Amino acid sequence: MTSTSTNPVPIWRRVLPPVLALVLVGTLGAALLRPRSGGDAGDKLLGKPAPTFALATLDGGQLSSAQLRGQPLLLNFWASWCVPCRDEAPLLRELSEKQSGKLRVVGVLFDDKDKKGMRKFIADYGLSYPNLLDSELKTAIDYGIGGVPETIYVGADGLVKSVDRGGLTRERLSAGLKTIGVEF
Amino acid sequence: MKRLRVSIFGSLLLGAALAAPTSPLTPAQQAQVQRVGTGVRCPICRDVLPITESGNDISKQMLSQISDQVQAGQSDAQIYSYFRERYGNRVLLRPPDDSSGLLLWAIPGLALLLGAFGLGRYLRPRAAMAATVQTPIQTEPDADDPYLAEIRARVRRERGKL
Repeated sequence: MTSTSTNPVPIWRRVLPPVLALVLVGTLGAALLRPRSGGDAGDKLLGKPAPTFALATLDGGQLSSAQLRGQPLLLNFWASWCVPCRDEAPLLRELSEKQSGKLRVVGVLFDDKDKKGMRKFIADYGLSYPNLLDSELKTAIDYGIGGVPETIYVGADGLVKSVDRGGLTRERLSAGLKTIGVEF
Repeated sequence: MKRLRVSIFGSLLLGAALAAPTSPLTPAQQAQVQRVGTGVRCPICRDVLPITESGNDISKQMLSQISDQVQAGQSDAQIYSYFRERYGNRVLLRPPDDSSGLLLWAIPGLALLLGAFGLGRYLRPRAAMAATVQTPIQTEPDADDPYLAEIRARVRRERGKL
Protein backbone atom coordinates (compact mmCIF):
# COMPACT_ATOMS: atom_id res chain seq x y z
CA MET A 1 0.00 0.00 0.00
CA THR A 2 1.37 3.36 -0.99
CA SER A 3 0.80 6.64 0.76
CA THR A 4 -1.17 9.21 -1.25
CA SER A 5 -0.54 12.11 1.07
CA THR A 6 1.83 14.83 -0.27
CA ASN A 7 3.56 17.69 1.56
CA PRO A 8 1.75 21.00 0.97
CA VAL A 9 3.77 23.42 -1.23
CA PRO A 10 4.85 26.43 0.84
CA ILE A 11 3.05 29.63 -0.12
CA TRP A 12 6.29 31.43 -1.00
CA ARG A 13 7.10 28.77 -3.62
CA ARG A 14 3.73 29.30 -5.25
CA VAL A 15 3.96 33.09 -5.17
CA LEU A 16 7.64 33.51 -6.13
CA PRO A 17 7.48 32.53 -9.86
CA PRO A 18 4.61 34.89 -10.80
CA VAL A 19 6.21 37.69 -8.73
CA LEU A 20 9.56 37.20 -10.50
CA ALA A 21 7.81 37.14 -13.89
CA LEU A 22 5.91 40.31 -13.00
CA VAL A 23 9.10 42.11 -11.92
CA LEU A 24 10.86 41.03 -15.13
CA VAL A 25 8.00 42.09 -17.40
CA GLY A 26 7.60 45.35 -15.46
CA THR A 27 11.31 46.19 -15.81
CA LEU A 28 11.32 45.41 -19.54
CA GLY A 29 8.13 47.40 -20.05
CA ALA A 30 9.48 50.41 -18.14
CA ALA A 31 12.72 50.31 -20.17
CA LEU A 32 10.81 50.11 -23.46
CA LEU A 33 8.29 52.81 -22.59
CA ARG A 34 10.84 55.24 -21.16
CA PRO A 35 11.00 58.40 -23.28
CA ARG A 36 13.81 58.23 -25.84
CA SER A 37 15.31 61.50 -24.67
CA GLY A 38 15.90 59.94 -21.28
CA GLY A 39 18.43 57.54 -22.73
CA ASP A 40 19.79 59.89 -25.36
CA ALA A 41 23.35 61.10 -25.27
CA GLY A 42 22.09 64.70 -25.14
CA ASP A 43 20.74 64.43 -21.66
CA LYS A 44 24.29 64.34 -20.35
CA LEU A 45 24.35 68.06 -21.10
CA LEU A 46 20.89 68.94 -19.84
CA GLY A 47 20.86 71.30 -16.90
CA LYS A 48 24.63 71.70 -17.00
CA PRO A 49 26.61 74.79 -17.98
CA ALA A 50 27.13 74.83 -21.74
CA PRO A 51 30.73 73.90 -22.61
CA THR A 52 32.77 76.97 -23.44
CA PHE A 53 34.38 77.60 -26.82
CA ALA A 54 36.36 80.22 -28.70
CA LEU A 55 36.33 79.58 -32.44
CA ALA A 56 37.09 81.34 -35.69
CA THR A 57 34.13 82.44 -37.79
CA LEU A 58 33.91 81.51 -41.44
CA ASP A 59 34.49 85.14 -42.42
CA GLY A 60 37.75 85.38 -40.47
CA GLY A 61 36.54 86.75 -37.13
CA GLN A 62 36.55 85.20 -33.68
CA LEU A 63 33.61 84.36 -31.44
CA SER A 64 33.62 82.90 -27.94
CA SER A 65 30.89 81.58 -25.69
CA ALA A 66 31.72 84.38 -23.22
CA GLN A 67 30.60 86.94 -25.82
CA LEU A 68 27.25 85.17 -26.16
CA ARG A 69 26.44 85.05 -22.46
CA GLY A 70 23.32 86.79 -21.15
CA GLN A 71 20.99 85.89 -24.02
CA PRO A 72 19.28 82.63 -25.02
CA LEU A 73 21.46 80.80 -27.53
CA LEU A 74 20.68 78.28 -30.24
CA LEU A 75 23.78 76.38 -31.27
CA ASN A 76 23.30 74.44 -34.51
CA PHE A 77 25.95 71.92 -35.62
CA TRP A 78 25.83 71.40 -39.38
CA ALA A 79 27.87 70.57 -42.49
CA SER A 80 27.60 71.53 -46.15
CA TRP A 81 27.42 67.84 -47.14
CA CYS A 82 24.50 67.18 -44.79
CA VAL A 83 21.11 66.83 -46.50
CA PRO A 84 18.86 67.28 -43.41
CA CYS A 85 20.84 70.47 -42.66
CA ARG A 86 19.51 71.88 -45.97
CA ASP A 87 15.95 71.05 -44.90
CA GLU A 88 16.22 72.98 -41.63
CA ALA A 89 18.29 75.93 -42.93
CA PRO A 90 15.23 78.01 -44.06
CA LEU A 91 13.71 77.60 -40.58
CA LEU A 92 16.90 78.81 -38.92
CA ARG A 93 17.10 81.80 -41.25
CA GLU A 94 13.49 82.72 -40.46
CA LEU A 95 14.17 82.31 -36.74
CA SER A 96 17.32 84.43 -36.76
CA GLU A 97 15.50 87.19 -38.64
CA LYS A 98 12.35 87.18 -36.48
CA GLN A 99 14.06 86.83 -33.10
CA SER A 100 16.98 89.14 -33.77
CA GLY A 101 17.87 90.88 -30.50
CA LYS A 102 16.08 88.30 -28.32
CA LEU A 103 18.01 85.20 -29.32
CA ARG A 104 21.49 84.43 -30.63
CA VAL A 105 21.65 81.81 -33.40
CA VAL A 106 25.12 80.42 -34.07
CA GLY A 107 26.12 77.67 -36.48
CA VAL A 108 29.10 75.38 -35.88
CA LEU A 109 30.60 73.51 -38.83
CA PHE A 110 31.07 69.84 -38.08
CA ASP A 111 33.66 67.68 -39.84
CA ASP A 112 33.58 69.83 -42.97
CA LYS A 113 36.71 70.90 -44.86
CA ASP A 114 34.97 72.30 -47.94
CA LYS A 115 35.00 76.06 -47.30
CA LYS A 116 33.65 76.76 -50.78
CA GLY A 117 30.77 74.39 -50.07
CA MET A 118 30.07 76.07 -46.73
CA ARG A 119 29.98 79.54 -48.30
CA LYS A 120 27.69 78.32 -51.08
CA PHE A 121 25.37 76.74 -48.51
CA ILE A 122 25.22 79.99 -46.53
CA ALA A 123 24.59 82.01 -49.68
CA ASP A 124 21.95 79.56 -50.96
CA TYR A 125 19.90 79.88 -47.77
CA GLY A 126 20.74 83.52 -46.97
CA LEU A 127 22.07 82.75 -43.48
CA SER A 128 23.16 85.93 -41.76
CA TYR A 129 24.09 84.50 -38.35
CA PRO A 130 27.72 83.63 -37.50
CA ASN A 131 29.07 80.22 -38.42
CA LEU A 132 32.09 78.87 -36.57
CA LEU A 133 34.89 76.59 -37.75
CA ASP A 134 35.52 73.76 -35.30
CA SER A 135 38.53 72.43 -37.17
CA GLU A 136 39.86 70.37 -34.24
CA LEU A 137 36.35 69.10 -33.44
CA LYS A 138 36.96 69.91 -29.77
CA THR A 139 33.67 71.79 -29.42
CA ALA A 140 31.82 68.94 -31.17
CA ILE A 141 33.30 66.46 -28.69
CA ASP A 142 32.49 68.75 -25.74
CA TYR A 143 28.86 68.86 -26.89
CA GLY A 144 28.75 65.09 -27.51
CA ILE A 145 28.00 65.48 -31.21
CA GLY A 146 27.52 62.15 -33.00
CA GLY A 147 26.29 63.46 -36.36
CA VAL A 148 24.64 66.45 -37.98
CA PRO A 149 22.37 68.26 -37.67
CA GLU A 150 22.21 68.62 -33.90
CA THR A 151 20.88 71.64 -32.07
CA ILE A 152 21.63 72.75 -28.51
CA TYR A 153 19.41 75.25 -26.71
CA VAL A 154 21.23 77.28 -24.04
CA GLY A 155 19.32 79.52 -21.66
CA ALA A 156 20.28 83.09 -20.77
CA ASP A 157 21.75 81.64 -17.55
CA GLY A 158 24.27 79.64 -19.58
CA LEU A 159 22.70 76.25 -18.82
CA VAL A 160 21.77 73.71 -21.50
CA LYS A 161 17.97 73.49 -21.52
CA SER A 162 17.31 71.18 -24.45
CA VAL A 163 19.12 69.11 -27.04
CA ASP A 164 17.72 68.05 -30.42
CA ARG A 165 19.73 65.37 -32.18
CA GLY A 166 18.35 65.23 -35.71
CA GLY A 167 16.76 67.43 -38.34
CA LEU A 168 14.49 70.20 -37.10
CA THR A 169 10.86 70.67 -38.01
CA ARG A 170 8.91 73.80 -37.10
CA GLU A 171 7.27 71.92 -34.22
CA ARG A 172 10.54 70.56 -32.83
CA LEU A 173 12.22 73.92 -33.17
CA SER A 174 9.32 75.62 -31.43
CA ALA A 175 9.40 73.07 -28.58
CA GLY A 176 13.15 73.51 -28.11
CA LEU A 177 12.88 77.29 -28.15
CA LYS A 178 10.19 77.20 -25.46
CA THR A 179 12.73 75.67 -23.07
CA ILE A 180 14.84 78.83 -23.37
CA GLY A 181 11.85 81.16 -23.16
CA VAL A 182 11.58 82.03 -26.85
CA GLU A 183 8.31 81.81 -28.78
CA PHE A 184 8.41 80.82 -32.44
CA MET B 1 43.58 38.03 -42.20
CA LYS B 2 40.91 40.73 -41.91
CA ARG B 3 41.60 41.00 -38.21
CA LEU B 4 45.33 41.39 -38.92
CA ARG B 5 44.63 44.16 -41.43
CA VAL B 6 42.35 45.91 -38.95
CA SER B 7 45.03 45.58 -36.30
CA ILE B 8 47.74 47.01 -38.59
CA PHE B 9 45.39 49.83 -39.60
CA GLY B 10 44.60 50.51 -35.96
CA SER B 11 48.31 50.62 -35.08
CA LEU B 12 49.03 53.02 -37.95
CA LEU B 13 46.14 55.22 -36.85
CA LEU B 14 47.32 55.17 -33.27
CA GLY B 15 50.83 56.00 -34.42
CA ALA B 16 49.51 58.96 -36.41
CA ALA B 17 47.50 60.17 -33.43
CA LEU B 18 50.45 59.80 -31.09
CA ALA B 19 52.77 61.64 -33.42
CA ALA B 20 51.15 64.95 -32.48
CA PRO B 21 52.13 65.37 -28.80
CA THR B 22 55.16 67.51 -28.03
CA SER B 23 57.06 64.90 -26.06
CA PRO B 24 56.89 61.23 -27.01
CA LEU B 25 54.90 58.83 -24.90
CA THR B 26 56.64 56.05 -23.02
CA PRO B 27 55.78 52.47 -24.11
CA ALA B 28 53.59 52.14 -21.01
CA GLN B 29 51.71 55.33 -21.91
CA GLN B 30 51.31 54.16 -25.52
CA ALA B 31 49.88 50.90 -24.21
CA GLN B 32 47.46 52.90 -22.05
CA VAL B 33 46.34 55.00 -25.04
CA GLN B 34 45.79 51.82 -27.05
CA ARG B 35 43.91 50.17 -24.18
CA VAL B 36 41.65 53.15 -23.51
CA GLY B 37 41.16 53.80 -27.25
CA THR B 38 39.87 50.28 -27.84
CA GLY B 39 37.28 50.87 -25.13
CA VAL B 40 35.88 54.08 -26.65
CA ARG B 41 33.38 53.87 -29.47
CA CYS B 42 33.52 55.99 -32.61
CA PRO B 43 30.51 58.31 -32.03
CA ILE B 44 29.62 58.86 -35.69
CA CYS B 45 30.08 55.32 -37.04
CA ARG B 46 27.11 53.16 -37.92
CA ASP B 47 29.01 50.04 -36.89
CA VAL B 48 30.25 49.55 -33.37
CA LEU B 49 33.90 50.41 -33.91
CA PRO B 50 36.51 51.57 -31.42
CA ILE B 51 38.16 54.87 -32.23
CA THR B 52 41.45 53.01 -32.75
CA GLU B 53 39.94 51.36 -35.84
CA SER B 54 37.51 53.85 -37.38
CA GLY B 55 39.97 56.31 -38.97
CA ASN B 56 37.65 59.36 -39.27
CA ASP B 57 38.60 62.83 -38.06
CA ILE B 58 36.59 62.80 -34.84
CA SER B 59 38.07 59.45 -33.82
CA LYS B 60 41.57 60.75 -34.52
CA GLN B 61 40.79 63.81 -32.42
CA MET B 62 39.43 61.69 -29.58
CA LEU B 63 42.57 59.52 -29.70
CA SER B 64 44.66 62.65 -29.60
CA GLN B 65 42.73 63.83 -26.53
CA ILE B 66 43.31 60.45 -24.88
CA SER B 67 47.00 60.79 -25.65
CA ASP B 68 47.09 64.26 -24.07
CA GLN B 69 45.27 63.04 -21.00
CA VAL B 70 47.55 60.02 -20.61
CA GLN B 71 50.52 62.37 -20.83
CA ALA B 72 48.91 64.50 -18.12
CA GLY B 73 48.81 61.42 -15.87
CA GLN B 74 45.08 60.69 -16.04
CA SER B 75 43.92 57.16 -15.20
CA ASP B 76 41.82 54.96 -17.50
CA ALA B 77 38.75 55.62 -15.34
CA GLN B 78 39.25 59.39 -15.51
CA ILE B 79 39.56 59.33 -19.30
CA TYR B 80 36.48 57.11 -19.70
CA SER B 81 34.62 59.47 -17.39
CA TYR B 82 35.66 62.45 -19.56
CA PHE B 83 34.05 60.88 -22.66
CA ARG B 84 31.06 59.56 -20.74
CA GLU B 85 30.29 63.05 -19.49
CA ARG B 86 30.02 64.17 -23.13
CA TYR B 87 28.48 61.22 -24.93
CA GLY B 88 26.93 59.12 -22.19
CA ASN B 89 27.51 55.42 -21.67
CA ARG B 90 26.96 54.64 -25.35
CA VAL B 91 30.48 55.87 -26.11
CA LEU B 92 31.97 53.12 -23.93
CA LEU B 93 32.53 49.69 -25.40
CA ARG B 94 32.95 48.13 -21.95
CA PRO B 95 30.66 48.58 -18.97
CA PRO B 96 32.00 51.29 -16.67
CA ASP B 97 33.80 50.39 -13.45
CA ASP B 98 31.26 52.18 -11.23
CA SER B 99 28.45 50.55 -9.30
CA SER B 100 26.20 50.10 -12.36
CA GLY B 101 29.11 48.63 -14.31
CA LEU B 102 29.95 46.27 -11.46
CA LEU B 103 26.33 45.17 -11.44
CA LEU B 104 26.53 44.43 -15.17
CA TRP B 105 29.69 42.39 -14.67
CA ALA B 106 28.29 40.58 -11.61
CA ILE B 107 24.82 39.68 -12.94
CA PRO B 108 25.97 36.82 -15.26
CA GLY B 109 28.06 35.27 -12.45
CA LEU B 110 25.22 35.61 -9.97
CA ALA B 111 22.78 34.12 -12.47
CA LEU B 112 25.12 31.16 -12.98
CA LEU B 113 25.45 30.60 -9.23
CA LEU B 114 21.70 30.91 -8.74
CA GLY B 115 21.09 28.45 -11.58
CA ALA B 116 23.58 25.97 -10.12
CA PHE B 117 21.94 26.29 -6.69
CA GLY B 118 18.47 25.76 -8.17
CA LEU B 119 19.64 22.79 -10.22
CA GLY B 120 21.29 21.28 -7.13
CA ARG B 121 18.09 21.66 -5.13
CA TYR B 122 16.08 20.16 -7.97
CA LEU B 123 18.37 17.15 -8.41
CA ARG B 124 19.03 16.33 -4.73
CA PRO B 125 15.53 14.91 -3.87
CA ARG B 126 15.65 12.77 -7.02
CA ALA B 127 19.00 11.33 -6.06
CA ALA B 128 17.68 10.57 -2.55
CA MET B 129 14.56 8.99 -4.04
CA ALA B 130 16.69 6.85 -6.35
CA ALA B 131 18.69 5.68 -3.34
CA THR B 132 15.54 4.66 -1.42
CA VAL B 133 14.13 2.88 -4.46
CA GLN B 134 17.32 0.84 -4.74
CA THR B 135 17.16 -0.42 -1.12
CA PRO B 136 14.46 -3.14 -1.58
CA ILE B 137 16.38 -4.62 -4.50
CA GLN B 138 19.07 -5.79 -2.10
CA THR B 139 18.58 -9.57 -1.93
CA GLU B 140 21.12 -10.33 0.74
CA PRO B 141 19.98 -8.97 4.11
CA ASP B 142 22.59 -7.59 6.34
CA ALA B 143 23.71 -10.37 8.66
CA ASP B 144 24.93 -7.94 11.29
CA ASP B 145 21.59 -6.18 11.66
CA PRO B 146 20.24 -7.16 15.15
CA TYR B 147 16.74 -6.14 14.19
CA LEU B 148 16.69 -8.48 11.21
CA ALA B 149 18.21 -11.22 13.32
CA GLU B 150 15.40 -10.79 15.87
CA ILE B 151 12.76 -10.95 13.13
CA ARG B 152 14.30 -14.07 11.68
CA ALA B 153 14.39 -15.70 15.12
CA ARG B 154 10.71 -14.87 15.68
CA VAL B 155 9.74 -16.25 12.28
CA ARG B 156 11.62 -19.44 13.01
CA ARG B 157 9.87 -19.77 16.39
CA GLU B 158 6.44 -19.20 14.81
CA ARG B 159 7.18 -21.80 12.16
CA GLY B 160 8.27 -24.28 14.81
CA LYS B 161 4.93 -23.87 16.62
CA LEU B 162 3.01 -24.70 13.48
